[in-house]
Amino acid sequence: MKARAFRFAAAALLVLFGIWTGLRLNASRVSPAPPPAIVQVPAGEASPPGLRDEQPESESLPLPTIPEKLPDFTLGDRTGTPTPISTWRGKSLILNFWATWCAPCRREMPLLATLHATWAGRGIEVVGIAVDYRDKVVSFADELKIPYPLLIGEQDALDVATRLGVESPVFPFTVFTDGRGDVVTLFLGELHPPQADLILSMVVSLNANRISLQDARRRISDGLHDLRAKSGG
Amino acid sequence: MMHPVTRLIVRTLVVAAAAAGLAGLAAAKPWWMRGIDSNENDFLPPDVAFRVSSSVDGNTVRVHWSIADGYYLYRQKMNIQAESPDLVLSSPTFPPGKLKSDPYLGTQEIFVQQVEGSASYTRTDGGAHPIEVKVAYQGCAEAGLCYPAITKVLFPGVNAPTPPATGHPWERTAILSGGLAFFLAGLLLKKGRRLDTPAT
Repeated sequence: MKARAFRFAAAALLVLFGIWTGLRLNASRVSPAPPPAIVQVPAGEASPPGLRDEQPESESLPLPTIPEKLPDFTLGDRTGTPTPISTWRGKSLILNFWATWCAPCRREMPLLATLHATWAGRGIEVVGIAVDYRDKVVSFADELKIPYPLLIGEQDALDVATRLGVESPVFPFTVFTDGRGDVVTLFLGELHPPQADLILSMVVSLNANRISLQDARRRISDGLHDLRAKSGG
Repeated sequence: MMHPVTRLIVRTLVVAAAAAGLAGLAAAKPWWMRGIDSNENDFLPPDVAFRVSSSVDGNTVRVHWSIADGYYLYRQKMNIQAESPDLVLSSPTFPPGKLKSDPYLGTQEIFVQQVEGSASYTRTDGGAHPIEVKVAYQGCAEAGLCYPAITKVLFPGVNAPTPPATGHPWERTAILSGGLAFFLAGLLLKKGRRLDTPAT
């Protein structure tokens, strides 16, 4: 009798597990994007009109190839002076890719200004990378009094995005590196204070050798997942 | 003693649940495989967020956009132009959009869910070539991501080839697991079956 009850209980548990698994699988199918952090943009015209690229539709989301190390690149600053990213060698970087036409890019700028004010003297530098026409960016930056350094480019900036694994441009996205130039994470979409705090706390821990890079990435991944769950996203 | 039918149901459920569980484990993505793409997201690729199709209705070209939930298109950025040289297209018309206020961009007209734009056309070659139009659109996700302007060349009036069915990997796994479960259940049924054969 006991053995039969046990078999029933085991069967019931397995059935529940099966149903739960099915629901999870179905949920992952309804939201088909999870694995990659990068969205492929098949056809598009980058912010400067004229970079047209017509391609067939695709629903595949290839995994991004984000480099372990921040690649070397050079873009013009606000005055047009070619500025290598190695200018900030030894510092942790918050590289924010944006465009003037992108509303969420504009929305996160006050946060980036705050991060700049908070961290610039502590070894973490915010650098905006505008993928847009230089004159538009400069006038926009002057109007908003963007306090942090800006690098500006069109196709050359798109090339940098590609080298960072963002094959086709979507904005905004932000790359965080540690003081050794390791890419800690690439955050896609509008950055909010809790996410920035989480990532930067890991960058600080990395720079202080209190945590390994792999562990930092895992904690960021888990932390962002929790933040999303809390916000209902 | 358990009734044979009950036993069969239990065994089938056990096997099916185990198969589904294995399928689930196979589909799960452990953290160490996530690499450094640590902000998992639900952002859709633009061609999924904004599905576009076109048709010809008399002397009118119609372009239809189907917009995923949580995404929108800017009315101001939408356009339909003639692409084939023999085609003369009127200015496209779009319905009024929904007003969206943005502290930085001001009030914008946007489309959600779906929208159709249309333009009347005339042809100078008597229809020797298929109609070819170029559409442009640009949109964002409410969650805070924008896609650059997209342009596509469409052939309204030409039946688009039906794309091959592309199931997700878990679907194939589930089908195989289900088949395996039924096969095993069948074996169990055969094993557990008691034939009411007359005593000899």
